[in-house]
Amino acid sequence: MKFCYFHLMPWTDLDEAPSQWPASNASFSPQRAKELYDGYIDSMVFAEQCGFDWVGCNEHHFSPYGLMANCNLIGSALAYRTRDIKLAMLGNLVPLLNPVRVAEEYAMLDVMSGGRLVAGLIRGVPHEYIAYNVNADESRARLREAVSLIIKCWTEPEPFGWEGEYYQYPSISLWPRPWQRPHPPILMSASNEESAEFCGEFKAIMGLTLIADLAIARRSIDIYKRATAIQGFTPPPEYILCGYNTCIMDDDAEARHTLEEGQRYFHRVLMHSIRDAQRLVITRSRYFGQDQVGETFVKRLVALKERTIDEQIEAGSVFCGSPDKVIQQMKRVHGELGNGMFNLNFKIGNIPDAAVTRGMELFRDKVLPAVRDL
Amino acid sequence: MFEQDMFTTETATLSTGPVTYRKGGDGPAILHIHGTAGPNHSTVLDDLAKRHTVYHPVAPGWDGTPRHDAVRSVSDLADVYADFIRTVIGGPCDVIGVSFGGWVALWLAVRHPNLVQQLVLEAPAGLRDPGTGGLPVDPDELHRQTYARPDRAPPPARSKDAYWINRRLRDELGAGISLDQPLLEALPKITARTLVLFGDRDQISPAMPAAHRMRLGIPHVHMTYIYNAAHALEFDQPEKLTALISAFFERGEGFLVRSAAAAG
Repeated sequence: MKFCYFHLMPWTDLDEAPSQWPASNASFSPQRAKELYDGYIDSMVFAEQCGFDWVGCNEHHFSPYGLMANCNLIGSALAYRTRDIKLAMLGNLVPLLNPVRVAEEYAMLDVMSGGRLVAGLIRGVPHEYIAYNVNADESRARLREAVSLIIKCWTEPEPFGWEGEYYQYPSISLWPRPWQRPHPPILMSASNEESAEFCGEFKAIMGLTLIADLAIARRSIDIYKRATAIQGFTPPPEYILCGYNTCIMDDDAEARHTLEEGQRYFHRVLMHSIRDAQRLVITRSRYFGQDQVGETFVKRLVALKERTIDEQIEAGSVFCGSPDKVIQQMKRVHGELGNGMFNLNFKIGNIPDAAVTRGMELFRDKVLPAVRDL
Repeated sequence: MFEQDMFTTETATLSTGPVTYRKGGDGPAILHIHGTAGPNHSTVLDDLAKRHTVYHPVAPGWDGTPRHDAVRSVSDLADVYADFIRTVIGGPCDVIGVSFGGWVALWLAVRHPNLVQQLVLEAPAGLRDPGTGGLPVDPDELHRQTYARPDRAPPPARSKDAYWINRRLRDELGAGISLDQPLLEALPKITARTLVLFGDRDQISPAMPAAHRMRLGIPHVHMTYIYNAAHALEFDQPEKLTALISAFFERGEGFLVRSAAAAG
């Protein structure tokens, strides 16, 4: 079993939920943000010492939910403060961006880190399409073309042009080309049936996040495996990455209390205005090709918000408790899903950094030795 | 709908024999060299003919036209097209070669560089690795590999028997070769600025390593992928083809610079 230490880099200092999306930045303090960045990057560097295989971050816009408009900037800082750990950018929201620029930045990061990049090529959650004013109806088609173009950017041995539906470039030649050959491993989100099939078609690592129900997650994995089989590819277990909010403390009660407090801030403050924007995109666009998938997405968010910690543990949505309990929970999920990688987010909402660090130490000393060989 | 009415059918007498051709439009001349199947009239030809005179000959022996005894190889066929340019068009022109026609066009540009001003190659044959690509025998598989957008495929232009007569002629001239080594060695002789187009889903003429070989061999060459296109570029993505080819022929190297019209 492999593990990724994932960080959302949340803004932790809001007293009230933003009233609407996008969140007002009137109370933003650059000095406080500098402290947060310093602490968060220290924590991500510490992940290498705790035995994590990857360290990951992602991209969000216009919100205190995460201070990473471009995760590649965090990746480049990590490249020079870490040695062996993989840098998992989970990832760039390619339909919103210039795909050639994504290919270039990822190639830089891969070279700068000596071939440690895991390249997340992500469609992005619905509300990001309002942020960058991109037609959400086109999100899937844009992702498909952008990924095809990015792979060409990385692999073509000579300059080439691209005449596509959304992207046209008369002549492309990347300097630098990526370190890894033929290109860095690609990860895509596969949290619903549509995206699981898409991910399998590209033979990418599948990323399952916000697991509300293990049966639904298992169905996505089955769809992914069927899609990879059509491509003549059998994904190894580490190609199935399951994302978990994780709270490990010395005893169960302390862990539950800590996670409860963090989730309260997460749902009440950080997610408040985002939910409205997501609902807007889902109901006013064809972001989800099938209505049913959109409904499932909304239901999943509601379910995750309303469940108690015990219910979340039972549903296989979080890891929470003492090291022994978390070991049991990980073994259970692994038994159900057969995944070879967990993506663990310890900084949920405003959980204090000291609690995050303690959780990482417990993971290193007690959890990892017991689950490494799963 | 095709606007074939704007094209007329004529016959020219060349030094090796008669050649039937279709001609349409007005403006600088473009010679369009068809592929294995024979002439397939696409809307690309109609659109190019709005600002060019498009010549679309039938290769000798294709579609029941008389064979020329002198034509025994791809380079011989290229010489026929050179004769056509001199005799019918009257001087150097821009050339488009499609698939097998791209192979012929490459030899034309190698052997008669003074007759080819600018060259566009659509999924050209002749430079792929042995054992890769090629035309499937099974008709369904052939159709699947030819069109990425089957909804845009044209109705058959000829009977199956006529298709196979054309295809056997191509095999005879091409001598079963997938990588034409003498052509590869002669590519540096091409003086025409060249644009090579490949569909990103082409399995019949896969872009690599043919595009790489042209990139290394032809002195002034650009290669562009047409997204969501297989082998039949003019049918899978006709608007893209027309825009690219027009820009290349009309603006030369300037086609690399985004124009106000394209930006709109």
